[in-house]
This record gives sequence, C-alpha cells and structure tokens, in this order.
Amino acid sequence: MFSAKPMKPTFRSYLPPPQTDLKSNIEPPVKLEPKFLPGEIVVNEANFVRKCISTDSSQGDLWGRLICTNFKVSFIPQDPPPKQKSQLSHLLLGQHDISLTCLEQVVTVNDTRGKRKVLGSNKKLKFNPAELILYCKDLRVIRFCFDEAGPESAKKVCLAIAHYSHPADLNLLFGFEYQGLRYHHYKGDLVNGSTPRGGIQTPIFDCPSDWDREIKRTGASEWRVCSINQKYIISESLPEYIVVPVSLTDQDVKSYSLSFNDGRVPLWCWNHRNGSALVRMAGSTEPLNQRKTEQKIFTAITKSHPQRREVTVSDLDKALPNIQDIQSAFVKARQICTLDPFEESEERWLSSIENSRWLEYVRMFLKFSAEVVYSLDGKNVSVILLEEEDRDLNCVVSSLVQLMLDPHFRSLNGFQSLVQKEWVMAGHRFLDRCNHLKKNENKESPLFTLFLDCVWQMTNQYPAAFEFTEAYLTVLSDSMWIPFFSTFLFNSSKQCSQVLQDFAKNKAIPPTEDHTVIFPPVWKWSQQFSSRDQTLFNNPMYVGKGAACVQNGEVKSFQRSKKAFSSTVRISSTSQRNGLKGEEDTLQRRGSLISGLRGDFSPVKDESPAERFFRDWFSHPADLQGVLIPLVLPSHVVLWKLFFLRWVLEACIPKGGPATVYHKVSQLVDEIDTLQSKLRQYKGASPHSTPVPSPSGPPPGQRRMYFKASSADEPPTSPNVLNSSFPFNPVGNLCRRGVQGTPISKFLNGAKTWLSTETLANDTF
Amino acid sequence: MEKSGSIDSLGSKPSSSRQPSVDSLSSTSTSRSDRSAQAKPPSALSSDSVSTSTEFSPELRVKPKAAAKKAHRDSDKEEPQLLPNETVQDMAHDITYFCPFTGALRGTVMVTNYRLFFKSMDREPGFMLDLPLGVVSRVEKIGNASSRNDVSYGVVCKDMRNLRFAHKHLEDTLKKSVFEVLMKFAFPVSNGLQIFAFEYGQVFPENGWKVYDPISEYKRQGIPNESWRITKVNDQFELCDTYPSTLVVPVNIPDEELKRVAAFRAKGRIPVLSWIHPESQATVTRCSQPMVGVNGKRSKEDEKYLQTIMDANAQSHKLFIFDARPSVNAAANKMKGGGFESEDAYQNAELVFLDIHNIHVMRESLRKLKDVVYPNIEDSHWLSNLESTHWLEHIKLILAGALRIADKVESGKTSVVVHCSDGWDRTTQLTALSMLMLDGYYRTIRGFEVLLEKEWLSFGHRFQLRIGHGDKNHTDADRSPVFIQFIDCVWQLTRQFPAAFEFNEYFLVTILDHLYSCLFGTFLCNSEQQRLKEEIPKRTISLWSYINSQLEEFTNPMYVNYSNQVLFPVVSLRHLELWVGYYIRWNPRMKPQEPIHQRYKELLAKRAELQRRVDELQREVTNRSVSSSSERAGSPTRSITPVQTMV
Repeated sequence: MFSAKPMKPTFRSYLPPPQTDLKSNIEPPVKLEPKFLPGEIVVNEANFVRKCISTDSSQGDLWGRLICTNFKVSFIPQDPPPKQKSQLSHLLLGQHDISLTCLEQVVTVNDTRGKRKVLGSNKKLKFNPAELILYCKDLRVIRFCFDEAGPESAKKVCLAIAHYSHPADLNLLFGFEYQGLRYHHYKGDLVNGSTPRGGIQTPIFDCPSDWDREIKRTGASEWRVCSINQKYIISESLPEYIVVPVSLTDQDVKSYSLSFNDGRVPLWCWNHRNGSALVRMAGSTEPLNQRKTEQKIFTAITKSHPQRREVTVSDLDKALPNIQDIQSAFVKARQICTLDPFEESEERWLSSIENSRWLEYVRMFLKFSAEVVYSLDGKNVSVILLEEEDRDLNCVVSSLVQLMLDPHFRSLNGFQSLVQKEWVMAGHRFLDRCNHLKKNENKESPLFTLFLDCVWQMTNQYPAAFEFTEAYLTVLSDSMWIPFFSTFLFNSSKQCSQVLQDFAKNKAIPPTEDHTVIFPPVWKWSQQFSSRDQTLFNNPMYVGKGAACVQNGEVKSFQRSKKAFSSTVRISSTSQRNGLKGEEDTLQRRGSLISGLRGDFSPVKDESPAERFFRDWFSHPADLQGVLIPLVLPSHVVLWKLFFLRWVLEACIPKGGPATVYHKVSQLVDEIDTLQSKLRQYKGASPHSTPVPSPSGPPPGQRRMYFKASSADEPPTSPNVLNSSFPFNPVGNLCRRGVQGTPISKFLNGAKTWLSTETLANDTF
Repeated sequence: MEKSGSIDSLGSKPSSSRQPSVDSLSSTSTSRSDRSAQAKPPSALSSDSVSTSTEFSPELRVKPKAAAKKAHRDSDKEEPQLLPNETVQDMAHDITYFCPFTGALRGTVMVTNYRLFFKSMDREPGFMLDLPLGVVSRVEKIGNASSRNDVSYGVVCKDMRNLRFAHKHLEDTLKKSVFEVLMKFAFPVSNGLQIFAFEYGQVFPENGWKVYDPISEYKRQGIPNESWRITKVNDQFELCDTYPSTLVVPVNIPDEELKRVAAFRAKGRIPVLSWIHPESQATVTRCSQPMVGVNGKRSKEDEKYLQTIMDANAQSHKLFIFDARPSVNAAANKMKGGGFESEDAYQNAELVFLDIHNIHVMRESLRKLKDVVYPNIEDSHWLSNLESTHWLEHIKLILAGALRIADKVESGKTSVVVHCSDGWDRTTQLTALSMLMLDGYYRTIRGFEVLLEKEWLSFGHRFQLRIGHGDKNHTDADRSPVFIQFIDCVWQLTRQFPAAFEFNEYFLVTILDHLYSCLFGTFLCNSEQQRLKEEIPKRTISLWSYINSQLEEFTNPMYVNYSNQVLFPVVSLRHLELWVGYYIRWNPRMKPQEPIHQRYKELLAKRAELQRRVDELQREVTNRSVSSSSERAGSPTRSITPVQTMV
C-alpha cells in the first residue's frame, strides 16, 4: 500500500522537513492509555486508525485507536513517538486530543472518488469513509485514515464525532458535567483553602466593590457605581452594576435606559488622569426622543469632567468593518495560512494576505483606537464610543484604548480584568460569536481573536511593555474552544448567572456558592496548565510597575522625561501611579518662543492637531509606563506568525525564531531573580528594604521564568530544541488533504493542481 | 559597566531605555562621520534624515553630558564639526528644503568636500540634514518651483531617498548656485577631483586593513591539506586580473594546467576554493561560466579539474554545479561564447540552475521598491505593491540558492561549484551566504568582515562599477544593488536566527551607509589588483578601523556562540520581510530602535550590579564568620554559590 521509498516532500523544495531537529530533545516513549476526566464517557471508537503526520507521505504516520467521548476526540497511538520536551502540555487534553468544542468542521472522504462530505448532527453517511479530516477552530487540521479500520466502526466513530460536536443545548456542553463533578470532588479543598473567589486574583466585575476599586484606581471621583440593573431589570445584557456620572440618579438612569437598545445606558469604561472619561454606548430604540436623552446624558458626562469639556462621540459602525466582514477576513486568512498548499501559495503570498483584509482590519482598529487616545489624552475630552448594539466593535476599541493609555492593563492581571470588564461583563456574545452550538453561522465572528491580534501587534512593537507573552495570547485564544470556562460560554452576564443557577440546582450545589468557584473563569489557569507551564506566560523583558516607581525616585531621569514630553499633554507616571490627581494635569504646551522663531513661512500648513500629537509622540522615546501608541503604517502591522503559522511545519524555523530570544532573556532574568532572592536572604532581618521582583509573581521558591539559568545541579536547556512554533508542536497538527490512493491523484499531485482545489467550502454531495 | 546606581534603578528607566551607552565612543565622536552625530544636538534639533530616522538615530546615542554641550553650541549657530581635512566649499542662506514628511523648511546649506549640510531653525526643535556627497546619485535642476523667481534642485540619492531644495533666482548671474558647487564635489571622479576617502585623515586605534589575511583565513579552514594547496600563480594577477593573488586549488593540478583551465573560463576566473567543511571535506568552489559557446566547445583540462575537485572529497561521488542564472539566460550566453557545463562532458556532475536574475532586473526591482516606500507608504495595497516590486521574491531566490548549496555541503557532504556568468555578482552572493549558514565564524563581527573582504572584495565584486563612486553617470547600466541585496539577505537570516549573529542591525546599516559615503577606502575600486595599484590600504582608512574601534555599538547582546551550528533558514515569503529599518528609515514614523537589545543590556547591567552586591554581602558574611567562626557554623554563606554567568 505504501511505496517503500518515501515520496519526495513537495512542501519545501529546498530541504527535507526538519523533523530530525524537532526530535533532538525528547523524552523516552511511554505507552499511552486513554485518559478520561470525571464524567467523561466513551461514545464510540475505532481501532487500527492511522493518524497522518505529514502531508506528502505516510512516513511517520501513527497507528492507534480513535475515540470519541462526550468531551473530546482522542487518538491513542500504539507506538507513540517520543514526546518533545519544552512543549506546552495541557492538563485536560493530550497531545493528540481535540475538544469537541474546538471542531469547526467534520469532513469525511470517500475512498474511491475522493468525494467529501461535511458531517453535521444526525447526518447520514452513504459511504464508508476512507478518511476523516477534522478542521479545528484553533487552526489545526487533523487527518485520520481508515484503510485498516473496520468500515462500520470507522463510519460510526465519524458520525459520533459529528453528532457530539453539535450540541443541541448549551447545558450539554461537557463543561457542565465536568465542573459539577469537580465541585463536589474538591469541595473540601475549596472550603479549607478559604481563598476568596477560588484563588482568582483577577477582578470579575460582578460586584460593586470591583467597580469601586476601578473608580478609585483611575481617580474617577465624579463617577459612581449604580445598582439599578440588579436582577437585570433595565438591561438584559449589561452587568448588574454599572458606573454612571454622579449627577445622574438611579431614577434618571432607569428612565434613560428606555431610549437605548436593550436598555443599555451609556457605560463608563475608564477615566484618564486628566478627568476625561471613556464611555461606551448603544444605539437608540426611539430616534425621535433620542437626541433629548442623549443630550441629558452628555451633559451629565460633561459635568463629570473637571474642565466641563464637551463630549466627543465616535461612531464605530461608520468607521470600522462589521462582524461579517471580520469573519470573512478571518476565514480567508486562515485559508491562506493553513489550508492552501504551502509552495503554491508562495508566489502570491503577499497579495493573498492583503486580499484577506485581516491585517487591514487589525490596522483599522488600532488606528481608530489611537485616535480615541488622542481625544482623551491629547484633547482632554471625554469620548463616547457608539455602536448599534455596543457588544462587539466597542469591546475591541474600548479595551485597546485602555491598553494604550493605562499601563495597569499591560500587566497580566490588569489585562485579564480588562477582558473581564470590557468583554465578559459588557455582554460580548461569546456564545454566538464563537458559535459553540454551531447553530447560526451568521452570528459567528472572531472579534476576540481580532482583539488579541491587535494586542499582539502592540507587544510586537513594544516588547518590554507587556507582562505577558505571545504564547499567553495564543493560549488564551485556544481556551475559547475548551468548554470549561464561564468566560467564553455565555452571551451576557445575565445568561451566565441564570444558566449557572440552574446548573447549581441540578448539581446540588448550594445556591449561595460563588459562580467563580463552581464554574471558574479561564483566569484560573491551574485548570489547564501546570505552574511550570504557566511561566511561559511571563514576559522576561517586561518593565513593570515596580521598576517605574523607582524611576520616579530618580530626580534626574524624571526631569529628562518631563522635558521630553513637554510638548504633549502626556501625564507623568507619578500621578497616575500614586493615585494623585491634578498637579500634573496642568498641561505644558509649547511655549510662545517657537512662534517667535517661526518666520512668516509656516512650514507645515496642513498638519492637523492630531497629526502633530502623533508626530510629537513618536519623536520621543516611549515611556513604557505611560501612553503607548502603536505604529499603524501598513508596513508595521504584520502577520501574527505564532498564531497563524504555528502548526505549519514547512514554516517552522528549526533552532530559530523569537523563542531563541525568549530563551536567552529568560535565563538572564532567572539569574537576576536568583540574585535578588539571595540578597533577600542576606537581608532577611530587614525585609522592607529589599525590592520584590514582581508584585504578581508566584510565591517564593517558585521561579517565574520557564527557562532557568544554568547552575550546578541544573544544566541549561539547549536552545536546539527551540523552533519558531515554540511552545507548540506542529508535527501532525496540520495535514492538508493528502494524495494517498489512486495513481491519478499522485499524478495530479505532481501537477500541483490537486491540492489547490481544496477549500473549506461545503462541497458536499 | 558604565551603568551604576542602586539595584532598584537599574534597567528600569524608560528615559534611558533607548539610550545605549556611548562611553566607549566619546573619543571617536569626530569620527562618527556621515551619521553626522558630531553635529547632532540630541534634543535641540531633529530632522527627517539620518538623525531622526529613530532606528539609528545618533541623537539617542549621545551621552547626556555631550548633549548639553552640543545644544549649547548649536544655539551659538555653530556649524557641524568638520572631519579632518574636510573643507567648506560653499554656503548659501535662504534655501528651502521640501521635507516630504513635515513640509517646507527654510535654512542654510553648506557644501564641503565631503557633505551637504542643511540646517533650519524655522521650527522647534530645529532641523538638520547631513548627507555625505557619496550618497548623491544625481542632481537635477528642476525648472521653477513654487514661483517664477525660484530655482529648484532635486537630489536623487543612492540610499532610497530624494531631496528637493529651492532658492531664489540669483540676480548675479556670475555667482554659481550652491547646488552647482554640490554637483562638482558630489562627482569628484567626473570632475577630476579626488574622492574624499583619500583625504580623510582620522586616526583609529585599530588598522582595519589588517583584518583579512588570506593565508591565515585558509589556515583557519585547515588549508593547505592533502588535497588543497595555496598557489601564488596569480601573484602578479597574470592568471586572472579580477581574482586575488592568493588562491586555493587542488593539489594535483600544477600551475601550468591552471592556465589552460583559465583559458576556458570567462575572464580567466577558474574554480577556486572558497570554503571547506571541517569534517566531510566537502568544498564550496567558485568560478565563472565555461566558454562553451554555440558549438559546445569542451576543455579536457577543465573537465579534469572539476573531477579533481570532486575527488578531493572522499565522501561523495558526485559534484553539484550550481549555475545561479535562469537556464534561459545561461543558454543565451552561448551566443556570446559562454554557457554552462553539459552533463555529458562533466561526468558525475549535476547541474542545477538557481533562477536568479541579472543585475539589470535587480536594479529595476529596487527602483520600484523605492517608489513604493519613499517618501510615504500608501495606506492601501501595501502588500500587493510590495509584491509587484518582486524585491522579496529575488531575495527569496538568492537565499534559496544559498540554502541548497549549504544543504548539499552539510547534509549531502557533496562538494559544489558555484558560478554565474562572470562569477562576481550572483556567485559572490551565493558563496558568501552559504558560508554564513555553514560556518559560525562568519557570523561574528570580525568573521563577517573577513567574509566581505574575501568573497566580495578580493574576488573582485566590481564595487566601483556597481555603485559608481563619485561618477555622475547615473544611468550607467553597470550599476546594480547586488551588494545591498546580499546585506538584505544577511538581515533576513538575523531575523530568523536572532541569537546566531554577533552583530546587530546597526552594523549592517552602517556597512551600507559607508558603501556609498566614500569616507573609507574599503569599497573603492573593482578588484584587489586595482586597490593595490591605487594604494588604497596606504592612502585611505578601512571601514573596519572605524567599526572595530567601537565594537560595543555593533554587538548583538543576544548573541550565543553555538559551535558548529548550521543555519537552515525557512526560505518562504511567510518569513521574509521587507527590511523596514533600512528601506523605510527616513520616515519619521519608523519603528523605534532595537528595544529588545536595549532591554537586554539593561538587564545585563542589573545582573552585574546585583552580583556585585551579593559578592559584597558574601564577603562581609565570610569576614564575620571568620572573625567569629564558632558562632555561626551554619551561616547562609554555605548555600550561596555565585550564579554562573552565561553571556
């Protein structure tokens, strides 16, 4: 069946695949047994299934058992290949497992004619499948062949996978089963541990105190927490506690809510130190009365501004692509990056990427957000982000603006609280946008992925400004497809609390129990990863808050930065951090001296104030603890390779890629941490005089860097195991449709026409 | 370590985060030449040119102390500090410079025998433009600018920018415009003047002309050995006037036979050794095309010669001949007497065409690229515009060719012969790049200098013709960005392997800047023979003198020297990027300079400081325990071992 001579790889015309490199640092093979979680049951399985590893040949293919459970598709290889070290391993999913929620499309292929059928729930299959191709939402493409499997069992397992990946109801997602059992199993631990909120440090914003703290942190003294939406009486999609101008009474809020879609009164997001507020707002239900209501609210927002500045309204629907545009751009980008044959797509790679429009959209959102930053920071006016429903584009822009303006959100916990506040609590429809139930494709849109890409662009441009790594962002996006976290399962906080109430009732959990305990958000990372693997989230280059504090102690450097930023309205980091308000806000604009120097010949006639603001900003070194504006030249918004190409073996740089830098810096930072802890040891008597490496860091004794400095008892990790997909492993995770089978298909492969016809299109028959 | 201070303050100052230390530089500030650092007050002035192209902005590299001094000087309206033997030729006020980024500026132009200097105090901060004349490709008088009375000049530069100036129509028709003076000094060769490199009198601690010694480089490679010998047959450049005097050839071929082989190779450029694998003995050899011609001429000596090259490597019974050209071009060369090796004549040889286009195609491609990136990038269609220049595609083909060569030598243990038509453009790109992939030595700063001296300069890449130093004939068809393309390829490698190179991006940009500047003698002339005739090493300064006198600035702090690591880049457009730090650096919105490197240096300083404090405390504790040893038997001293350093 297989030719003895391995086929020549076509995907990289210059070199054989780098598998030898990938195997160089490996653990000895272990006999694998299927692992099941509490409540997980096997639905169907087939033996003698072949998992394809490379696109072009059967070399390295694995034989084993394909299992479908109520949670995942699992493959248990008979002779597992040695496992790689330095690779992220998931606590709930094995190397060859795919969560059912992660399945985008289940496709079977007929052996004789190569016809494809996309399987849905309760579909019938008229032929015995030769192949099963699983297209995953995390961009993997996994392929199984049934050439040696029993035809009936192959068919059954395919149908089972298709059926179980299309749950009829939210409650049927395995997370509900799992979390219920987990709760009872660990109840004792949870109570004894007595850590509030299950040990999650990220504010959830489901209680007034979280909002209060945010008000205080940002110095928004003219804003207050309003409980009028308790029990969701004015809006189904707003959180129970919202922040409104102090001049509005609860009654005002309630009556104004009638004018907005779904009762969504304008929602406070964030306050600038200069007093400007960022507010998000939905469109109107009754255009006639709208202006009046709007005026009243705008007046109230103006009143909450220390200089009583008029508000600026930014209409996102007019300026930015809609959710269908974004979805179609993503589908195209995915097609180009992962599905189109590698070599054939080389020639038109750049224009294909451009035609997908994904990068264009990323750039539009960054640019739009930067303009809002100018209004808040440069013009010192409050900004209202207007979107018809206030649940999609507004989430992206409001969180990006805050990321640019407030260094707090660039820390790991700050970032998580931002997602919690502007996405989860603001009512982003994760359930619909992720299309977890595969019910309505029109509502599917990767808004959150778009946001993560925008964040990545900023981390790429300012590598020391964020506490987290791109591996973190990628893992966060992957977590959307695991049905265990309350974060990504619901359309609103109301839906969340209702579903979880019923859930608690069904699972005999006391109704008083905290939601975050019974159904934890994704932020409880110990659900997914070991504490060592979680260190992959820590950016060794991060210049954190602690560091900046010290900077202010240094008069000299402070003066310099003040001078450097004097022409902008940038607020120095002192006031921001100390929670002081005011004194820095007296803006130091350009002196009149300049106009004196400038002759009758005005050099820049048509530069707008915004352009000048940006030019000024870019002409000085960026203060990583201050405002951070991304470069939005088309040449500087680039493809997020780890996200889009991590499974593409052909694109994997052996012994290279950004991971080699990460490795090197991590080792150095680990040395620094070690030295610091030694200093603390010496100064044990006076602990207050020594700095703590990271306020959010793990408890002492636990090292926060993934790669350790070499020491006597611990040899350093060899960088030879690194590649550009680190910490992910591309091997076997992206098998485009292969060409095993008829001679004609082999011939077609030679002509390189066969593969190019494959798309994700529903070419069912 | 120049950084000091409390542990807390180290590496955490945002204001210092982009200020590499320049202590090591203070003594060479006058030598900083065309980057015009010597005249750049760090905060008082800015410009769209070299100084604010943030990536390598000298203003960010100047010490605060020096900065204050310079700012003061500037307020006195002093002019830039001139280089040794640099003299002012003309000066004019009331000149308008049309900055494509910020608009028109009025100021003063000064022309010296080395540079054009424009300064405007129109705006705060002030603005300066400092341009070595070597960069000028052509100066054009453009009719009337904004009004009838204005005369406008366009200065087209070799480094991806165009400048436009204007001044009032001169009443006194006898007085020359400052731009006519510029034309005279920008093209010294055409005007019977001397290139400034011959006058520049700076003294550096190191003599860069001593960087490359062929004998010791071949010795490093293990040559001579039983199969290869060093020959002096070309000592007087009689065998081949575009080759170096020192050549490495197979032991079994006597010098007399070499001459017969030379007769069959274009311009006498016989196959000679560039690199030998330390273990397998597989070699990279380079040459020009065989003179096959339309009649399919053969040369027994040449065939034997290649067979000998193959035999010198016992590991393989095959020889790969990589012809850099597209097969069509190679075939077309037969009309001109050239061609390629037929596999009939050369048994055991396999011929592979690498499809790399000629110098004219490359020149056109870069011209298109300039249109796309300068002065501004259009908001839409960036990627398809970039694609239409084919620049990255050419880069890909060159890298792919080099990768195939490296792979054959490393993985296939097979010797390779590389040629194109003359063997001084594409061949040089390919051998140099494959050697960079194969041999970590060339990835160090000095190793890279050796690589350039060897593969590019000594083997006769025609820099004078390709760049046209001091020559006004800007349409010369011999000009081509072959070397720029090579440096671009090197940059692509550094992107894929950020820890594998000892040098940083600034090193590469500096080399390209001085490719044009005519400040150093390194890139003058076309061959070793010409350089000796012109006494270049005696009469000019080497670029490596300047670079090696301040290595710190050009060092990649992330460098890890893995022995024997061969780099196999992924040659795919998915990873090839436009080198924005070079091609788009004039745009003031450019990306900030290497923040990762900067951050790493800060962390290094922080570690050093911590180590110092730990050592201090340890000493204290040790002293204390010595003085009262009975008291503290189990003191923490025991548990504290110095952290191993891994830089």
